[in-house]
Amino acid sequence: MNKPLDSTLLQPATGLTQWEKDYAAQIGVDRSSENRSGLTIKPLYTAADWSGERAGEDLGYPGQPPYTRGIYPTMHRGRTWTQRQLVGLGTPPDYNARLLDIIGQGATAVSLIPCNSVFRGYDMDEVHAELLGTCGVVANTVEHMDACLAGVDLAQTSCAMNDPSPFTLLAFLLATAKRRGVKWDHISGTSNQSDYISHYVANHMFFRIALPGARRILGDHIEFCNRHLPRWNPMSVVGQHMQQSGATPAAAMAFALCTALQTADDCVARGMAPDQFLPRFTFFFDISVSFFEEIAKFRAGRRVWARLIRERYDAKDPRSWRLKFHAQTSGVDLTRQQPLNNISRVTVQAMAGILGGLQSLHTDAYDEALSCPTEFGARIAVATQNILREEAHLTDVIDPLGGSYYVETLTNQMEEEILRVMGMVDLAGGMYRAVEAGVVQRILGESAQRFQNKIETGEQTVVGVNAFQVDEDKSARPALAKPDPEKMRAHLAAFAQFKAERSQAAVGQGLDALARAANNPHDNIFAQVVAAAEAGCTHGEICGTLRRELGFGQPLAMV
Amino acid sequence: MNVIPKVLVTKIGLDGHDRGSRVVAAHLRDAGMEVIYTPPWQDIGAVVKLAAEEDVDVIGISSLATDHLIVPKLMAALRAAGLDDVAVIVGGIVPDEDEATLLAAGVARVFHPGAGLDDISSYIREMVPKLRAQRFAA
Amino acid sequence: MNSGDGNARRASALARILDRDRRAIGHAISAVENDGPGAAGLSAAVTPHAGAAHVLGITGPPGAGKSTLINALLGELIRRGKSIAVVAVDPSSPLTGGAVLGDRVRMGEHGTHPDVFIRSVSSRGHLGGLSRTTSRIVDILDAAGFDVVIVETVGAGQSEVEITAIADTRVVVCPPGLGDDVQAIKAGIFEIADVFVVNKGDLPAAEATVRDLKDMLRLRRRGAQEVPVIKTTATLADGVAAVVDAVSAHGASAGYGRRLRAPRPSINGGADGTEAAKRVLRLGAREPFGLAMGLACVEGGPGRAVVMATVGPQHLNFNGTCHGGMLFTLADTAFGLASNSHGMIAAGIGAHIAYHVAARAGDVLTATAVEVSRSRKLAVYRVEVHRADATLIASFTGTVYVTTVANEPQDVKEH
Repeated sequence: MNKPLDSTLLQPATGLTQWEKDYAAQIGVDRSSENRSGLTIKPLYTAADWSGERAGEDLGYPGQPPYTRGIYPTMHRGRTWTQRQLVGLGTPPDYNARLLDIIGQGATAVSLIPCNSVFRGYDMDEVHAELLGTCGVVANTVEHMDACLAGVDLAQTSCAMNDPSPFTLLAFLLATAKRRGVKWDHISGTSNQSDYISHYVANHMFFRIALPGARRILGDHIEFCNRHLPRWNPMSVVGQHMQQSGATPAAAMAFALCTALQTADDCVARGMAPDQFLPRFTFFFDISVSFFEEIAKFRAGRRVWARLIRERYDAKDPRSWRLKFHAQTSGVDLTRQQPLNNISRVTVQAMAGILGGLQSLHTDAYDEALSCPTEFGARIAVATQNILREEAHLTDVIDPLGGSYYVETLTNQMEEEILRVMGMVDLAGGMYRAVEAGVVQRILGESAQRFQNKIETGEQTVVGVNAFQVDEDKSARPALAKPDPEKMRAHLAAFAQFKAERSQAAVGQGLDALARAANNPHDNIFAQVVAAAEAGCTHGEICGTLRRELGFGQPLAMV
Repeated sequence: MNVIPKVLVTKIGLDGHDRGSRVVAAHLRDAGMEVIYTPPWQDIGAVVKLAAEEDVDVIGISSLATDHLIVPKLMAALRAAGLDDVAVIVGGIVPDEDEATLLAAGVARVFHPGAGLDDISSYIREMVPKLRAQRFAA
Repeated sequence: MNSGDGNARRASALARILDRDRRAIGHAISAVENDGPGAAGLSAAVTPHAGAAHVLGITGPPGAGKSTLINALLGELIRRGKSIAVVAVDPSSPLTGGAVLGDRVRMGEHGTHPDVFIRSVSSRGHLGGLSRTTSRIVDILDAAGFDVVIVETVGAGQSEVEITAIADTRVVVCPPGLGDDVQAIKAGIFEIADVFVVNKGDLPAAEATVRDLKDMLRLRRRGAQEVPVIKTTATLADGVAAVVDAVSAHGASAGYGRRLRAPRPSINGGADGTEAAKRVLRLGAREPFGLAMGLACVEGGPGRAVVMATVGPQHLNFNGTCHGGMLFTLADTAFGLASNSHGMIAAGIGAHIAYHVAARAGDVLTATAVEVSRSRKLAVYRVEVHRADATLIASFTGTVYVTTVANEPQDVKEH
């Protein structure tokens, strides 16, 4: 008679017990494993963790709420993500040359990073000349915008403006379109830095107008875009800043969602209908190298958003329920040591974003930890996206990790963690109040230090930094691209000439109207910013006027 | 006498990425130092005034974009105000060729990404008693 | 300076201070702060030149908006042509001695004005709130010729007492909607205020707070000098001119240089204070329960005790935050030691705690107990539990029955 089959092979429960025994016997000392969001990760996930019972309501299908598996029915199989590389360096002609080059290599949308002087609300003649154009393009006027976008068809190209409140770059873009005879309802793109809250908390780029004024300008901006720019996304919620300055992936998602809810509340308070503005909210997230955690973050975030929006705002339009997002690979994960290793990191980050269902992607150049990216570095970053899209078969299947015991369990856990952090913000009276009170800043500061300590103690390995160090040939590092000082001097001189030659009366009237709008809650500040730009006012003049009328933004983030 | 180093942690110029400066400030505090922390975008003149009034031993400048390019201007301003006995250290993203320029301008040390927090605090702890001794000997 | 002669060097330093040389003032304050070489001589040298400055003490519970108010006051005083020095006292970690001195930054844009001098001072573990050396720092700034010297103190513990000795005019800042803070104000700060400021006056609760304060003033200070209560929104500088007016009026009638006339405050309250301090430490060191819980008594005095603990994993509840029982233990231990500091057994008969903010693993907590009232039979104590960054974690009130039995055998005290 045949020997009976080993019963453990037939009984899954016994099989699990057996595995647990074998695992314990062979592993020796099990290392404790915690992801960046502080969740404990087990060595194995099984049907005991995720049975699929709730797959109908928790996952649905692509393009169906709660959108865990993606916001569109076709996802990357239909249309792959938008390849949006941030570009900005030097003078407008420098920028234009680089832009046309990148478009030629396959980039499908325009993105503009202005010089830090622009972020700070200054014209080029108000700052240290050494710093001009080292990190972005020096654009202060309509003329500059026109030169930046020479040869670009504005009716056909989506433009992302890294343009914080009061959105002068968009104003320059609109004026440029008008000059070229392009109708405003053809202009498409995103105000990428409209999230003033993230700027306050993460202190990232700019600081111009005090919190209440910044809040009002954003409302005016959304209202204006609703009325005049049907293809423009006026609100981009920037979870990326939060995560770059130290929030955990789950907390960064939570803060972004809270910011979006705060802005939605503000819009509703102005009398706007949720389905009028919510479809044009976009999100901007960071992708760290913590692969599965990032995928779960995006899946969980979509689910939380879809549910909250329907519950809180009774939004009827499915476009309002969809969390659509641009993502950027995390610069904080990149190392100065052995910089070419960063290409691998960026690849893993980008894959996490793609498998997480992003709509648009920026891959960092490997040399960002050394300097502002060189042209060479930026090219590899674009190529990385091309390889992932064209060679790796990543886009064949929608949400390929859906149904994985681990990924679904992790998605559920990330959702819980996101909701926990959101609950803390709610307790503090919502995002605006929580930021005013410094609650968000404290949470973020603590997690930043916790993560740094993990690196210091070696609990978190960073290759080339606290492990696997090698002697490096420093000459292999790329040289920092600095703008040509001669060209920058000429740019400054031309700017001085422009200011001398324009109609001073028109400029004076434009700035006066802007100042009056700032003090009249019934006027729309952004409409006056656009009018001022058309009248020849410069970026620094517009920002300076608002800074004077609405108060200077005091930094709130502390240690 | 127990020496408690007093350190100004700040950012000059235009960039606002302050995660590094906040983490370093918190670390120096935990290492038992007195830290004056400022947000980004300080004017050079404001840094000099603050350093004089607070009588700091060390100024730590964090630079993640290109703001290190104006550190030589800060060094000149400190010298002009008689603060040449204050040590200036720079941390962040500084390309190699610029590091040489900074050291030549009088910067005591440049810490690059990946430098351990303990490296920074032990450097300061060792340096400050020497700085103070020189000051009293003057 | 190449002269090795201490007198000559001091004379030169003094001349530069009187000349309001920023660098010299900065050095002089450090010398006093660190009790460095020449500090005593320097103090003696500047004192004869002091007495002309109007010294403002600004205190109030954490989060009341003291720094924001000072920023607005600076703007107003500059507008009136005054030169101003500010001494901002920040708490330091009692464990490491380290501190982030952040108030200067919260004071905003006027720090860069040429007629403004700001100096941050770490309390260096002196939990009373005011740095031990603040008074001497004020002397230096006074001698340097600043019209107004503002002293901002950590709004907790015994700072109210110390600021009385230093400031000519005491301004107490209250947040609107006092809530538990009423307790804080009743318990000590209330009596010392020359001017009350209700900050964040744009919040709806501000008006009610102004009314409450005026009611309390009427009840407690019948017949005494009128104490103004002024509402401000310090971010927009509304009401700030009224504060400056009130403060100037008080200064003009009360006179300047109070601290120079009063005997310098002693650190531990004299011989009795020293004995009480030692007793508290002795009692703390022989309490099995507190020691088992990882508590350490670090400071004591008559009716006063400070106990510290670091939240460890064994102190957490199932939600991962510090267990309420641990916070109660910490507060109760400080309460027990403070009430027994007078040498007689004091038996607890009741206590109440309010938890404000969750504490987490790794947080360093400090419970400071102070005596609110004491009669022949009963005494009431207030205990505040703070995190190292001065966040108020919990507040506790406890009552004891006082016996006439000594709480230590005679021979213990001899050691």
